[in-house]
Amino acid sequence: MSTPLVEAKEIHKNFDVGGHFLQREKPQVKAINDVSVSIHEGESFCLVGESGCGKSTLARTFMGLLKPSAGEIHYRGKRIDNLGHKDRMPYFQKMQMIFQNPYASLNPRRTIQKTLEEPLRFHFPDLTDKEIGEKVEEVMTSVGNDPSWGKRYPHEFSGGQRQRISIARALMVDPDFVVADEPISALDVSIQAQVLNVMMDAQEKRKLTYLFITHDLSVVQHFGSRVGVMYLGTLCELADTKTLYSNPRHPYTQVLLGAIPTLSCEEMTHTKLTGEVPSAMNLPTGCVFHNRCPHANDRCKREVPLLRKLDDGAAVACHALEEGRIS
Amino acid sequence: MALLEVKNLHVEFPTRRGVLKALRDVNFTLEKGERLGIVGESGAGKSLAAFAIINLLSKPGRISEGEIIFEGQDLSKMDDTQLRSVRGNRISMIFQDPMMTLNPVLTIGTQMIETLQAHRNISKEEARLIAIDRLNEVRIPSAEERLESYPHELSGGMRQRVVIAIALLTEPAMIIADEPTTALDVTIQAEIMSLMLDLCKMHNVGLILITHDLAVVSQVTQKIMVMYAGRVAEQGPTRDVIQNPRHPYTRGLMSALPQQNQAGKRLYQIPGSMPTLDAMPEGCPFNPRCEYVGERCYTTVPELEDLGGHMARCFKARELKESGSLS
Repeated sequence: MSTPLVEAKEIHKNFDVGGHFLQREKPQVKAINDVSVSIHEGESFCLVGESGCGKSTLARTFMGLLKPSAGEIHYRGKRIDNLGHKDRMPYFQKMQMIFQNPYASLNPRRTIQKTLEEPLRFHFPDLTDKEIGEKVEEVMTSVGNDPSWGKRYPHEFSGGQRQRISIARALMVDPDFVVADEPISALDVSIQAQVLNVMMDAQEKRKLTYLFITHDLSVVQHFGSRVGVMYLGTLCELADTKTLYSNPRHPYTQVLLGAIPTLSCEEMTHTKLTGEVPSAMNLPTGCVFHNRCPHANDRCKREVPLLRKLDDGAAVACHALEEGRIS
Repeated sequence: MALLEVKNLHVEFPTRRGVLKALRDVNFTLEKGERLGIVGESGAGKSLAAFAIINLLSKPGRISEGEIIFEGQDLSKMDDTQLRSVRGNRISMIFQDPMMTLNPVLTIGTQMIETLQAHRNISKEEARLIAIDRLNEVRIPSAEERLESYPHELSGGMRQRVVIAIALLTEPAMIIADEPTTALDVTIQAEIMSLMLDLCKMHNVGLILITHDLAVVSQVTQKIMVMYAGRVAEQGPTRDVIQNPRHPYTRGLMSALPQQNQAGKRLYQIPGSMPTLDAMPEGCPFNPRCEYVGERCYTTVPELEDLGGHMARCFKARELKESGSLS
């Protein structure tokens, strides 16, 4: 198989929280535990999970916004997480990000034009004003924005328009890899569809590779080519979208899929999940899901399950599946 | 007699640039124990309708016309003292953010006992017992200990359970829930929604569920009301509206859901966005976004057309009916 475009190898990320300043071992939040993901060119890789499962932390680690506590990030086979700021610069240009809240991610005191020009001027200082102006216009039009918006300020736009401006900003510097962190969860239903379409069009036109982070599984089914399901900082299932939806293996994935509301008009029934997500400061021993899992046994409480590859290419971390207790 | 009857409700906001008509001509009834869903995008007036019912409009908003008959009394004519005996007593409210409802510096127990004592002449000990009983009903483990907890010690899902328990304390006849699960994760959303459904049935409580999620509404309510730009676009029995939507906006909302589209293809999208109150187009407010638009639509606002208990504010409602349900 060809080299993946970006690859995370055995990533761990811990955050120190509180503790006395002389304390040797400060209490830590273990946000990501031993996660390896590789994303190939042209893919739309989706990361799903509930709040606090580490999906955004992983995305930020990919982008270099956070430094992994252990593990490596590779871009086209070259390790980049250990590079200095200056050496990493070309990679910052190739990897761009779209954030969840378009009200917070655009500078309210800058015109749209200024916001869009900035990444260009930063990464390509040799461009003339005319070239920059043309580029802004081209990108704005390509995401369905009126180029005359440039003179206006972010507060003059609705949420959907702002999110399209954020997408335009990410596309300004011709990235290969775009990380979108919950780009549509702050938007209305009819606007969500518009933004998703813009993202899909851009992917087709510019040969983009996406890392798409969301908690909305119905969007994943539509948008993603491959899905990683995260729970409490670990990857519990990794599969093609089709495989995952037609045959979810991990008990947590099954619960997640069962919880999607549908237009069925059938009355809602209980999910069989009990208990709460444990705290990442005090991770359970063994499988992180065992206290909520209906199939957990003693081994699950003791031993951490590893991602194991199955015949159809899916990878699942579950003892019960491995032992054949569930299918 | 119906539990709640809203007749010809109009709400307006006087501003320096003239009077903004935020809600026009809203009519509906809710029987005892019946569940109604109000759906629409942000700014459609769905929350406003709910706040108008309990006369909780923020100044300078006012009910300019209409009657709100609840248990035989017109709430719109009541003064604050009278309203206080209804709000939080006969009608309870559940909001999107549980931290908005809960006081962060008081324990759960204090807040629950206070609520009960405000509306009923009972001792602290009696109130405590009722509080424990309600917490058990919403399936909070070790309820007695939880009474001593502060809101910040609970997770988001737990907080929303406490809010539901508080809403049920005074045995209300109706609950208004404004986006009760929007801030929660999918699995928690499913749990909370099915819990609310069970409790409403068990206590024969009427429910007004305000949400932008058509799928949730279809699985919880018996009646549905779709709002657009301050008017009712479509209303009727949930099954009829979902399976055979007659207003182009409702159709659009449903078609835009990723579940309704073939995976990987462009999503159906409603072009543009909802007009703001000060820039309402002439004629039907949906005309700039409508694919069925005709000449009449630019001049006249359509009336709600009654198609046998199922009503739609569209000139083409009857024709749309013929074309059958969406796949």
